[in-house]
Amino acid sequence: MKLLSILFLQATPMEAVFFGSGKAWVVLAVGATILLGLVGWIWRAQIRLKELEQRMKSMDAEQTKP
Amino acid sequence: MKDRVALVASGALLLYVIAMTALVPLGPGLIALEPVEATPLQRFEVVGLGTHFAGQTTQTRVFVGQPGAVWEWRVLEARDNSRLLVEAVWPEKLKSKSLDVFVYHPTDGTLLLENALHVDHLPVDAATAFPPLSQPIPSGDGLGLHFPFQPQIFESIRNLLWHVPMWFTMFLLAGIGFVASIRQLGSNRLLPADGQAEAASRVALFFGLLGLITGSIWARFTWGTWWVDDPQLNGALVTVLVYGGYSVLRASLEDAMLRARLASAYNLFAFVILVILLLILPRFSESLHPGKGGNPGFNAYDLDSTLRLVFYPAVVGWGLLGWVLYRLGLRMDLVTRWMESLDPPLDPGPSTTPNSPLP
Repeated sequence: MKLLSILFLQATPMEAVFFGSGKAWVVLAVGATILLGLVGWIWRAQIRLKELEQRMKSMDAEQTKP
Repeated sequence: MKDRVALVASGALLLYVIAMTALVPLGPGLIALEPVEATPLQRFEVVGLGTHFAGQTTQTRVFVGQPGAVWEWRVLEARDNSRLLVEAVWPEKLKSKSLDVFVYHPTDGTLLLENALHVDHLPVDAATAFPPLSQPIPSGDGLGLHFPFQPQIFESIRNLLWHVPMWFTMFLLAGIGFVASIRQLGSNRLLPADGQAEAASRVALFFGLLGLITGSIWARFTWGTWWVDDPQLNGALVTVLVYGGYSVLRASLEDAMLRARLASAYNLFAFVILVILLLILPRFSESLHPGKGGNPGFNAYDLDSTLRLVFYPAVVGWGLLGWVLYRLGLRMDLVTRWMESLDPPLDPGPSTTPNSPLP
């Protein structure tokens, strides 16, 4: 209900431009895309790091074998 | 695993912050009381922003005066949602030449514009008092979720959800670097703490730069200029430069142990300077910045329940993202050093491309 009340209260010219023309949704879409891209990039980096860390551990373990 | 949980939590919180920043409207407020040209001192237009004057005009009431000496003007019509035509009613004498305007609207609630009008045509008597209003003013209850209206700031109040958490995150990471530097200084060996201090300070610098950029944009819209000669702003810039100097210092030293000791000592001073320049000095000098130099902070007036609904998740979300970036940098440094130490250097794998986050 609160979300509905938000959407139906846009009345002044500035609000009409920002919300009525759908620009608020454009801002939301652009912001969400940038954020999700960043999160995806970090996620992928973490996966690659994990692989390299495992290689590092296994190589170190091999070197320390008697 | 913890890093991934932190990343997902930060992504979800920041997605929520972006959605709320874009979709929650600004609350109503008054921005001017303008005399109607043909009838000065008789008819005025009350100009609002985010108001809903066009509805429920008969229940809208307008008052002028000063505390203890308030009287009512007649509402003639609402020209649109943001303009209300009113007819002035003047008493025999005033309490003050400067008059505030109050508007009560069933949806918007009670709105105030301080010092809206300066009146010279009536005598002033500071002891003037008017009887209390005969009808009580109910509080507005028709407004949904909205950000608080503040003069000068207007829609840019949304930037609070971005600008302030940047500095909180910088403090968090600078604090991590500070503790790590203390640990390194307490040892004669090269500890992982040195790498932690480096990674934390690097991300702290990044968030400090974001804080400067978001603050400068905000200043442009509220103060009219990108930068002012203000102790808070200058202190923030100096702080960021000091942390930039930390990176330069590290890059200039070859010997790892010497670099660790010097950089750790420098980092201690950098954190102390951060606290002094951003938290202490601006409070003892005049400053335009909210919360400094006698200015009330947002917490006092503006951080209302709607802002808190978004501000706290924003602080946690940015803090978590800062933590994730710090951990990522730390792990990347470790792996990079290990790969460089191999002879021949390790091929990072077939999936690594020129755009890969890894070297």
